[in-house]
Amino acid sequence: MGGSKMDIRTSVSTTKMSRTKMALLALAGLAVVFVPVVFQGMGQIFMVRIMAVIGLYVMLALGLNIVVGYAGLLDLGYIAFYAMGAYVGILSAEVISHVWPALAPFSYFISLPIAALAAAATGIALGTPVLRLRGDYLAIVTLGFGEIVRIVITNDAGGLTNGAAGLPRAGQMITSPFGLQWLIDNARFTGFGLDFAFSNNLYWYFIIVLLCCLTVFVVRRLDDSRLGRSWVAMREDEVAAASVGINITVAKLWAFSLGALWGGVAGVTFANFQQFVSPESFTFMESVFIVCIIVLGGMGSIPGAILGAIIIQGVPELIRGLANSGIVKLTAEQASLIGNYRFLVFGLLMVVMMANRPQGFLPSKRRAMELAPEDEKVLAEENQSLYDVEHQTETSDHDL
Amino acid sequence: MLASTIGQQLVNGLTLGGMYALIALGYTLVYGIMLMINFAHSEMFMSGAYVGLFTLQLLTNQTIITNAAKVLPFMSGMQSARVFFTGSGFGLFICFVIVFGVAMVAVGFMGVLIERFAYRPLRHAPRLAPLISAIGVSIFLQNAVLLWIDSKAIPFPKVMPVHDIKLGGGVSISTLQILILVTTLVLLACLDTFVARTKIGKAMRATSQDREAAGLMGIDINSVIALAFFIGPALGAVAGVFAGMYYGSVSFSMGFLPGIKSFTAAVIGGIGNLRGAILGGFALGIIESLAAGFLSSGYKDVVAFAILILVLIFRPGGLLGESVVEKV
Amino acid sequence: MSMGKASKYVALIAVLVVMAMMVTACGGSTASTSTGTSKTATVKVAVGAPLTAGAVALGKGMERGAKLAIADVNASAAAKKAGITFEVFSGDDQGDPKTGVNVANQFASDSKVIGVMGHLNSGVSIPASKVYNQANLVMISPASTNPALTQQGLKNVFRVCTIDSVQGPSAADSASKDLSKKVAFVVDDSTPYGVGLADEFAKQFEKDGGKVAGREKTGDKDTDFKALVTKIGAAGPDIVYYGGIYNSGALLSKQLKEGGVKVPLMGGDGLYDGEYIKLAGTAAEGDFATSVGLPLDLLPKGQDFTAEFKKAYPGEEIAAYDAYSYDAATVIMNAAVEVAGKLGADKVSTTAGKKAVIDAVAKTDFEGITGKISFDSKGDTTNKAITLYTVTSGKWGPFKK
Repeated sequence: MGGSKMDIRTSVSTTKMSRTKMALLALAGLAVVFVPVVFQGMGQIFMVRIMAVIGLYVMLALGLNIVVGYAGLLDLGYIAFYAMGAYVGILSAEVISHVWPALAPFSYFISLPIAALAAAATGIALGTPVLRLRGDYLAIVTLGFGEIVRIVITNDAGGLTNGAAGLPRAGQMITSPFGLQWLIDNARFTGFGLDFAFSNNLYWYFIIVLLCCLTVFVVRRLDDSRLGRSWVAMREDEVAAASVGINITVAKLWAFSLGALWGGVAGVTFANFQQFVSPESFTFMESVFIVCIIVLGGMGSIPGAILGAIIIQGVPELIRGLANSGIVKLTAEQASLIGNYRFLVFGLLMVVMMANRPQGFLPSKRRAMELAPEDEKVLAEENQSLYDVEHQTETSDHDL
Repeated sequence: MLASTIGQQLVNGLTLGGMYALIALGYTLVYGIMLMINFAHSEMFMSGAYVGLFTLQLLTNQTIITNAAKVLPFMSGMQSARVFFTGSGFGLFICFVIVFGVAMVAVGFMGVLIERFAYRPLRHAPRLAPLISAIGVSIFLQNAVLLWIDSKAIPFPKVMPVHDIKLGGGVSISTLQILILVTTLVLLACLDTFVARTKIGKAMRATSQDREAAGLMGIDINSVIALAFFIGPALGAVAGVFAGMYYGSVSFSMGFLPGIKSFTAAVIGGIGNLRGAILGGFALGIIESLAAGFLSSGYKDVVAFAILILVLIFRPGGLLGESVVEKV
Repeated sequence: MSMGKASKYVALIAVLVVMAMMVTACGGSTASTSTGTSKTATVKVAVGAPLTAGAVALGKGMERGAKLAIADVNASAAAKKAGITFEVFSGDDQGDPKTGVNVANQFASDSKVIGVMGHLNSGVSIPASKVYNQANLVMISPASTNPALTQQGLKNVFRVCTIDSVQGPSAADSASKDLSKKVAFVVDDSTPYGVGLADEFAKQFEKDGGKVAGREKTGDKDTDFKALVTKIGAAGPDIVYYGGIYNSGALLSKQLKEGGVKVPLMGGDGLYDGEYIKLAGTAAEGDFATSVGLPLDLLPKGQDFTAEFKKAYPGEEIAAYDAYSYDAATVIMNAAVEVAGKLGADKVSTTAGKKAVIDAVAKTDFEGITGKISFDSKGDTTNKAITLYTVTSGKWGPFKK
């Protein structure tokens, strides 16, 4: 194993938290709950929206992190599962509202597991044949799959997706979810210079935060589980892992489908938050965004995913906000030009990070060690995939 | 009627396939030697189109020469050159040679630079690291063009008179298509001979078989890799200039789809295999044209991607790849 | 994870982000409280359009149109009498739904915004309209043609452009009657705009007795139409209809003519742009595009607009939606001036004021530069005039039989 200096148990999260860390966490928790409430009270629904969008990307990043960070599989078509979740979510909600109108306000909560499972099932269906492939081939296959899903949606396959015009169809609506109207009518207060009234943005913000907490919880449990440890073993040295009895294909399939599941959850939530979906939201660049978040933040690291989402989704919008507030003298166009430079900067950052800090800004400890193997030979062994061993002739001699 | 349509689509497919083959060679050369997917290769194609376009404008566009002369006085001499380049068939030929030469050299050096700064530090890193780095380079180059050159598509000037030549049976081929096909085949033959017959080619083959052993035998690995990163992008640049001429415009996003499809072509033929890439390029071009013509244009990209996935699943070695030895 | 180097980074970044957010929020709110007790007020008209990504040429045109309108209304006697001044507040939606809704929330967060002129893409307009609805902001789109936009039952949503079901059939009528075309090949670009237009064209063309020889989809960023051209050539149409935007439309036209299919290409207002001719070159000659309203040159106010435009933006071309954006922004401001007259200029940016603006816009009946503007019960324009344009010697001009 690459970084054998650390015992495998060190990362198991039973270690006691220090007092300062607990205080910091509590402070962060309070901020997560009350900052948007204050913003809402100030009428700054833009900020609430931005925080919700960041939360959505945190969820996506954590989901993809299972695939990229934990299992070490590069998935360039993650957006396909996001799209799958969004479309299945809206379509199943439509069916529910039609068949049992009384359940319409709950349609989001009912469609959430349906969409998640549909995305996971797609993950399994795609993963079963392709997960045997070598890592870089897998990346390209997933990219192709992502594009296929987007094109099929755009071409209105089976008359389900309404093509480029998007869902819901003309004349149809997404019923607002349970409790929202009540909250808007009743959850009000004035004082401290605030005039607070509950809103759509805040409702979805809290749902997204709850889902993020759930994701973090599941991901941490996974990390400590038998499955999580087999991922570590597999990621570090596939051949060795296989030889100690880990079923590589099954372990990969679990990672792939769990990642897809979270993509689906994020997708159905996005669709309901946005109240409209069209294929233009599911381009290849979105997939790259999410990979960027993970690479910048640190593969396999939860704080890293959060930081990455803030940098990639939050900062450009904040620049836009600052420009508008008159603090920074910029026109809308200049502000978004600066925002547009982010792609350029991210591209460059990906190159620089890979060369100088491949573990990301906030790496998970274990991963950081793996990325710095002590000698060439170990690395060569680690890089060898089971696929190569099974298909001996493939990589060794090329008939150039 | 049907036969002539099929024939015409074959002509379209061959032309498209020629371009795919040129790009696919870049993927296959780099993969053969470095075992990495050079995701930024599609941007080499795009850059080639831009370099070609600007060179062509400097050689033939009167206003642009006049404007350039304001900054660089010696450019005013180009006005008389312009008359020569646009005046006769021979002038046009020389003009094309210059345009393609400049595009190939410029983009070739770009490839070498990218290898030096983005990939060489990662030569001993886990396999996904160079791929992620390559995606970064690709995003960077696309946005550099978007922000610093133009976010809109730029029309490619029509310099060469294009005639249709009837092949009989209602099928015709344009002079531009012939030019693309002939150039492609000549370049492919040159590369094949170069790799198979010359000493440097031998060094390349040796490096692709076993990098370490080749190094021990006294081959300068870095030069061989740099050479692969020069030839691949240079061929991609040729395809880029052709794409600009053939489709009539260049834009920052023009590289992505052809790039992925050419990678598919390389995979179909067996990645790492030069002749395989050529075969795969032509096969994919023809399949795509037939799919667009007889299925639906909306699904032609789906067909290409589906082929990519199916080939990788069922015959990862490609059509000309080594026969796969299953574990017993 | 101890309080190591990494945690310090996080803490630093978190503090910076929170500070930036606070500054942003405060900046917005001080602006809103500055509306004093005086009877004059400055309010903002928001412009939501793609300015740096997406259909930038069209989006910039929207912004230009709105700016011209604001200058004109500010100079008008009515606005001066009511004591109200307008400012532009541009938001760049990049043609992306998610960014678009972010921008919509930004508009809604600024209490001085009294109405939104936007957006361009239907995929952005539809989700954004719900945000405006909750914030009691009127929204007038100069360009979104997806029928779903005005079928949501939202009282605050209007558009000054005609929907596909008017423009498509009108193009079909022109093709079969004025141009006596018999066989059409219909292509779209897989965008909501293009698909809607192409579908409606095909329906009406068949009703008029024409034959639709084929129906194909392409992508809005496609550049390779060679195989499609061969297919079109084999179908032998005498006109090709393209539902889509000029970028790809121009290349299709170019490749059609190079491929020996020498029939005109026809499209909607998405093609009616100078860029189209620039990209297609000589292949554009004789191509057609329909656009809403009457040609500017034929309308008295249109000539004024053209003159004003040339003065304000020398060297630039009027794009497809400049005039509509001018009209849409004017409608919003006229309504605001009316409300200011009734309630007082300082009350326009209150909730009651914004609601009154929506009601006033719904009752609009005014002569704009693109013709008479009024809205039906859903919020669609009642102006159904469509003009057919054609390219002659490198310029778009109205088609004369």
